Amino acid sequence: MTVDPDGSAIVTEGLTKVYGGHAPPAVGKRGGSPGPIRHGLFSRERRPGMAAVDHVDLCVPKGSVFGLMGPNGAGKTTMIKLLTGLSDITEGRAWVDGFDVERNPMQVKQRVGWVAAEVILDDDLSAWENLWLQAKLQALSDWQTRAEELLAYFDLADRRKDRVSTYSTGMRKKMEIALALLHQPSVIFMDEPTIGLDPNVRLMLWKLITGVNREFGVTVLLTTHYIEEADSLCDRVAIIDRGKFVATGTPSELKARVKADFIELETRGPIDEPKLRALPGVLEVRTQGKTWILKVPSAEEVLPHLFAALKDDGISRINVEKPSLESVFIDITGKRMDQTGGDVQDFRKFYMQVRRARQ
Amino acid sequence: MSTVEKVLTLPARQEAHRDGYVGQLSQFWGLYARELIKTFRNPFVIIITFAQPFMWLAFFGSSFANVPGGAATLDKLLHAPPGTGYLQFLLPGVLATSMLSIGMFGSMSTIQDKRFGFMKRVLITPTSKATVYLTKALGSATRGMVQIPVMIVAAWAFGIPFVGTPLAWAGWVLGLVFLGVGFSAFFLAVTASSTDWQTPGVISNFITMPLMFASGALFPAQNYPSWMQTIANYNPVGYAALLGREVVVYGSFDWIYLGYLALFAVVMLVVGTAVASRYLKVE
Repeated sequence: MTVDPDGSAIVTEGLTKVYGGHAPPAVGKRGGSPGPIRHGLFSRERRPGMAAVDHVDLCVPKGSVFGLMGPNGAGKTTMIKLLTGLSDITEGRAWVDGFDVERNPMQVKQRVGWVAAEVILDDDLSAWENLWLQAKLQALSDWQTRAEELLAYFDLADRRKDRVSTYSTGMRKKMEIALALLHQPSVIFMDEPTIGLDPNVRLMLWKLITGVNREFGVTVLLTTHYIEEADSLCDRVAIIDRGKFVATGTPSELKARVKADFIELETRGPIDEPKLRALPGVLEVRTQGKTWILKVPSAEEVLPHLFAALKDDGISRINVEKPSLESVFIDITGKRMDQTGGDVQDFRKFYMQVRRARQ
Repeated sequence: MSTVEKVLTLPARQEAHRDGYVGQLSQFWGLYARELIKTFRNPFVIIITFAQPFMWLAFFGSSFANVPGGAATLDKLLHAPPGTGYLQFLLPGVLATSMLSIGMFGSMSTIQDKRFGFMKRVLITPTSKATVYLTKALGSATRGMVQIPVMIVAAWAFGIPFVGTPLAWAGWVLGLVFLGVGFSAFFLAVTASSTDWQTPGVISNFITMPLMFASGALFPAQNYPSWMQTIANYNPVGYAALLGREVVVYGSFDWIYLGYLALFAVVMLVVGTAVASRYLKVE
């Protein structure tokens, strides 16, 4: 891939981050060679580590809002850490605003803003002092006018002298975005910008993010595991699962890929899989924990047959997923996004895989 | 006015001017000022900083009040000229030993920054780990320095006679600054990769005890067994105490002690910066 610093805000080539161990070999690429093995006291374990980000190729056009969508632990935050130079790259390369993240980290850091998932401000300082510190760290002069404008824009001007510890959650979030914008970055990274916020604040933030993108001309890369957020905010979305990009495109492109509905089903007792497969119109049957997931062309046509077939099994829960980014995720990974990682069984299964991979 | 309307009536984008180079001085000043602001916005810090020297002199100083044989025995024990008094002997030692643990505060605030994610906020800007380290080391040293004038006022209040020229006193205070900077630098380098709240306390306990007693700060090193004298011979705490004792008790000044303390501070800062640039953890 050639790097086009004019057209793209972020470019990555085979970007990989591995925790504890060496990189796993890339599929169809030159693998990480394990090298000679030392023994005894000098042995260094050369087991494959856990790839948090696994050979990711990414291209984010300037001025766009790009969403990294995936379940908790998929590698979204690690992507941001790699692109901002907070974490070392294990393999591959990355450019932000035309600068190589590994070779010119300081140039990159002058051009990026960052909004953390957990609000990170200095609570002992006032809004104005937080802005002052940010200006010092970015070595800005004449930053006061812009800081005042940002405070006015985010409705914080009258509270500028109060310690930020007295702010509401929404105000703190706005304060963080103001800090991220102070030095006029080309790219803003937002890590789960609306996690844990009430619906009103979330809606307000969505409008702000769109506004910031349009009015300040900033490229936004955000991570989220909320379907609606990715759907309504992002120009393009990449679905990430276990460190790999499994699908990329505009939300409507991705939704168009899945020409099917998904029926999720739980029963009180066990069901025979052949019974489900035998139903007319069922394309695929999968299980996730106690839940059965059926892929069907149209849920409306299959549901009557399903109810008839399972009338003695006692259906305890049923859910229909029409084409959405969630159904894209189900289609590709075979599981719901919001259940991945949260499920105890899944968690144990994941650890078993880790242990097996290390042996 | 709804948010949407506000988005549309946004003020025109203004150019924020960036210095031609990424000013390390600007970053240093910002972070150093933050350390001081945070420290002195805490009322407990101020109260304890001011109360502690008085408590040292009152409690430790009074514990020899009824020693058998009186002041003459003490002077003999301390290898001090007759009529010195334990408080006068003690003042430089107490100030020197109080520099031992001041690095702990910088180290704890560093761990707090890592834990609360603030370190990420700093390191996502073009600020180097070395700058962060230096501001923490010098910030906690500065915090410790505040005790020096308070202590000297306390000593005056306890009736310690002042001997020596103002220049000698200034030299002694400079020696204490070097000692404080040296130990802060050491402390922060040792805990650069730690994210555990317990580490600074453990290290403080570990270094304070041997360096306090094997120093001649509280008792004359001449009374020690030879192995402890060997430690005392290299211990900067002892030299800071000796430097101060010469000023306070004899009214003289020895540059070689000050030089040793300056060397200690510089070596610790240089080694510490190198260690922190490599091992300072982000979270």
